Amino acid sequence: MATIQALGLTKDYGKGEKLVRALEGVTLTIEQGEFVAIVGRSGSGKTTMLDCMGLLMRPTEGQILLDGTDAGLLTDNQRAEIRSRRIGFIFQEFNLLPTMSAMENILLPLRYSHGDRKAAQRRASALLEEVGLAKRTHHRPMQMSGGEQQRVAIARSLINEPTLVLGDEPMGEVDTDTANTLLGLMRRINAESGVSFVIVTHDLDLAARTDRVIRLRDGHLISDERTSIPRAA
Amino acid sequence: MEILRNLRRRKLRTTLTVTGIVMGIFALTTMGALAEHFNMLLGGGITYYGSSIQIGSDTGGGGFGAGYMSLDTLSQIRRVSGVVEAAPSVQVLAKPGSVSAVNFGVPDYIMNFDPKSFDYSAFKVSLASGRWPTDSSRWEVALGASFASEFNKHVGDSIYLPVRPSDATADFINHRFTVIGIANKTLTAPDSGAFVSLHDAQMLMGESIPQGIRSSVDPYKLISGVVAFGKPGVNLDTLADRITNTVPGVKATKPSDLVSSFKAGGAVFTFMTTAAALLAIIIGGLSVVNTMIMSVTERVREIGLKKAIGAKTRNILGEFLAESTVMGLLGGAVGFLLGLLLTLALNGSDPSGGIFLITPRLTVIALVFAVALGAGAGVIPAMRAAKMDPVTALRAQ
Repeated sequence: MATIQALGLTKDYGKGEKLVRALEGVTLTIEQGEFVAIVGRSGSGKTTMLDCMGLLMRPTEGQILLDGTDAGLLTDNQRAEIRSRRIGFIFQEFNLLPTMSAMENILLPLRYSHGDRKAAQRRASALLEEVGLAKRTHHRPMQMSGGEQQRVAIARSLINEPTLVLGDEPMGEVDTDTANTLLGLMRRINAESGVSFVIVTHDLDLAARTDRVIRLRDGHLISDERTSIPRAA
Repeated sequence: MEILRNLRRRKLRTTLTVTGIVMGIFALTTMGALAEHFNMLLGGGITYYGSSIQIGSDTGGGGFGAGYMSLDTLSQIRRVSGVVEAAPSVQVLAKPGSVSAVNFGVPDYIMNFDPKSFDYSAFKVSLASGRWPTDSSRWEVALGASFASEFNKHVGDSIYLPVRPSDATADFINHRFTVIGIANKTLTAPDSGAFVSLHDAQMLMGESIPQGIRSSVDPYKLISGVVAFGKPGVNLDTLADRITNTVPGVKATKPSDLVSSFKAGGAVFTFMTTAAALLAIIIGGLSVVNTMIMSVTERVREIGLKKAIGAKTRNILGEFLAESTVMGLLGGAVGFLLGLLLTLALNGSDPSGGIFLITPRLTVIALVFAVALGAGAGVIPAMRAAKMDPVTALRAQ
């Protein structure tokens, strides 16, 4: 079953002589439970692709279908509602709020989705345990390493039990060992919960450890291959 | 909680911004307290003078003026058609020679107590303790609330009236009176009064007449003015004109003229309060706008993140507005408290009770104004934050 589908996605920036086409006619489908890497050089359109899939940006042409719903027909507030309930985000620079503890950062999406707070707190504690930060519950981002901050960000992306987690260079700011650990963590969560992961990366070694690698070049999809890694159950 | 943490993140900036609001609300509170005091004073005057006709000699007027009238005039005024009652008024300064060049409020005065005048007047004064003097009272006085507190007098105490000035001349005379009553606070003219019988008031008036002519007049046949009351339904302005035209040697002032002059005085204080409010808007408002714009600029990525994880336009708008509102509330509370403390201290150091009045209305106005100022000044920065494109905000450096 498809979690998200991109149909003929085209995205232009600027107008007239300054027009830049970041994506052109990209079509792809992410199945439920898949762990997919989007790779490509700088300017290939991979981040634009991720922004369109995350409903952060509207494509110039084409459609995004999320669990069968055409996101293009939704208002900005409806798209925000879907982001809060069905999509988790992990960013390269963690984007944790400096005034909040690890627990409060994880619970932040709840402020906009209005879920059951007590249940979410139990879930946040479980997620902190899962990402190995049970003892860092009340620590602020400044008191944690980059790897630890990204683990908090991963836990935050999962708090509302999304069907899709999108990561924009989630291992871009950490060393290789930490990157491997973080990928292992995401793969484990992917295997255990069945939530689909799509990460943008320039690291081909990391990409090779996902289920499927999609390559973009100059806004075009040039390859979409399954890796030899067995898919999570 | 997050709001306070965000404000604490930039302590100096928050402190400076809140100080701006504190200054504005402090100015609003002190100026407002001054205005409230005088508006209360003028309000009492409007009620009293709007319901009665003040009549004086056509050569100098009553009250504290130099003109005197014959007591016989009273019966002539009572006979004018439309007059239901006319009461004699004899008034002298309680602290002769003490009226300073800049005087806020009513100077202390001694006046005859006329029960009929109190019955007909729309402005009522009640007693906190004791009783009023009667026509037969001698050397007895009931004091207004400020007068009593200024000289720390209670029922049963003695007081010498008029009060001896520091530069009293050799012929200055005063007498020992017994305090028989203390009036409740009215926050207007009667608070500064000392009320004696007509006989005693005439005696004191006689002694205030220059020594050269004092022996040639009988003070018990003189009054300094008359207060007339109209029958129900009678137009008091018309009646004032009729009294002036019918009774020789008197000038009746139209109540509407007096009320207009009181209202004009009130407008000056309203203007002062409005000016203080404008000051608060300019100082406090601009500093909040500046701080919130800087805050939005610094927190662009945070806004981007919040929008990415599901914050709607109204959520971001609400969060930033709440922050600026809290700054307004903080500044308002501190500014009001400082204003309250200052006015209390100044009132405490003034024996007559002071010239500032913090009313519940002023409290509500100052705090609501501060909150509205914070919220209002936060609108544009908060709109800017709320309308930010999430992708642009997330990628901001």
